[in-house]
Amino acid sequence: MSVTKQIGWLIMGLLALFGAACLHVLSGETAVSLGVMKDAIFQYDPSVMDHVLFREFRLSRTLTAILAGSSLALSGMLMQTLFNNPLAGPYILGINSGASLFVGLLLMSGISIGGAQLGIVGAALVGAFVSCIFMIGLSGYLRNQISLLLAGMMFGSFTSAIVSILQQLSGAEALKAFTMWSMGTLQQVSFEELYIFAGTVSVGILLAFSMGKYLNVLVLGEKPARLLGVNIVRTRIIILIAVAILAGVTTAYCGPIAFVGMAVPNLTRLVFKTQQHHLLIGMNLIIGALFVLICDALILHWAPVLPIPLNAFTSLIGAPFVLLILMRRVR
Amino acid sequence: MIEISHAIVGHQRPLIEIEDLVLEKGKVYAIIGRNGGGKSTLLNSLLGHVPLISGNMKIDGMDVHSLRRSILAKHVAFVASKFDGIEYLKVREYISLGKFGSSSIWGQLPKEEAEHVEQLLEELSLLPLAGKFTDRISDGERQLAAVARALAQDTPVLLLDEPTAFLDYKNKKRMMEKLVEIAEQKNKCIVLSTHDLELAMDSSLIFLAIHRGRLEVIERLEKERFSYYFE
Repeated sequence: MSVTKQIGWLIMGLLALFGAACLHVLSGETAVSLGVMKDAIFQYDPSVMDHVLFREFRLSRTLTAILAGSSLALSGMLMQTLFNNPLAGPYILGINSGASLFVGLLLMSGISIGGAQLGIVGAALVGAFVSCIFMIGLSGYLRNQISLLLAGMMFGSFTSAIVSILQQLSGAEALKAFTMWSMGTLQQVSFEELYIFAGTVSVGILLAFSMGKYLNVLVLGEKPARLLGVNIVRTRIIILIAVAILAGVTTAYCGPIAFVGMAVPNLTRLVFKTQQHHLLIGMNLIIGALFVLICDALILHWAPVLPIPLNAFTSLIGAPFVLLILMRRVR
Repeated sequence: MIEISHAIVGHQRPLIEIEDLVLEKGKVYAIIGRNGGGKSTLLNSLLGHVPLISGNMKIDGMDVHSLRRSILAKHVAFVASKFDGIEYLKVREYISLGKFGSSSIWGQLPKEEAEHVEQLLEELSLLPLAGKFTDRISDGERQLAAVARALAQDTPVLLLDEPTAFLDYKNKKRMMEKLVEIAEQKNKCIVLSTHDLELAMDSSLIFLAIHRGRLEVIERLEKERFSYYFE
């Protein structure tokens, strides 16, 4: 695809993203006038109730949706290219499992991790990184991608077993808190926390872009890539760190959000029919954000009648889509 | 140029003993021998994957097993016996990946390298396929693209593992002819493993016969001797 065409797609994607963001920010139970929206963004006044409500509830949720969608889609794409497997996603690395385990321990066991008041975000982040470091360590030993994938799945089963034991043992209050977290939400991030969230995601995105040309070669498989002079172990570690940052911080702030990381990269490849990873990275960021924005706008729209947890909704849409891809491939 | 001296090739146990062997540029060598005799192990050893049990193996005067991957990639290129193609990867892009080492951080190639890719497309008559996806072309075309990818790496030595194994007769013949032509015109040292003995004979390749743990160089192989090397 020529460079001008790529830029064209990028601009179109950004316009669509802007449209979806406007749609999302305006959906909700109470109507927000365009005037209030404009003032709350450009002439923010903390003494005006409408401004505070808009900023803390509407705008932060929209921006969270964008960040979460982008980073999950990108981390999924990185995993799929690294493992040469369209069914890979952040959950395979054990990110969700690790985060769930630590959040579960925090909420249900009474054991304080690290002795400090970590909070849910801190616990999830620690869990995501611990599981990622574990997988990075394993990736030095397990030369073959399939073994690493299987190790990730085993890790997931193992941690979810511990989580079920914790659930069995814990009281109603703790159980509810954990269940709420595991449903996934975009409402828990305050405007101040957004800076940290956005900053961390940016680091992951930059890392991914810097690995673009390595990702292009990795589609050949690890052995041919090595013969072309790629340092496989180093490349793998950098990519896994990017995945841990992106998926880890998102799971920490929003809870587990299923299928975005698996479905969006497949959709992007299907639409753009390319293996040029710089373009794929850009489009995954945009389509991931669009996907979560639209899902969440629908959730907001239906909320008064039927409240649907985000994690359930993305699965409802994502799972049949992934099945479709599988059928198209294997048949 | 490849120089091997006093080498014992093998994974833990010795498979082939090579006293003294020099493989020159401009020629095509065919490793033959029965299965399990060490054809692939020898190739893998030349690629730096399997260390020697003892002895020396040099490419362009440098020891293969102590070179860094990124440097070795400038001296040896490899073509596997089968390339299945990759979804949404175009032939031109695939061949360009051979120039990974000289691509920018955005994956773009310098002008003269991009021109070299075009030249290779032309030489291997792949130009009409350049914009097609690698999983949507025939086996023969794909194997030719794999050779072009290795040529794009611009190395003096080219190794191929049974390059004709999955091709029909017409494509087998075409592939062998092409390899001889490349070796002569581009002054490359080409080493391939094969079971297609007659084809290799017709193309007047030099044989490296692995027999009973030794490597024998045979300039002209007689048909009557075939079975001897495969007993």
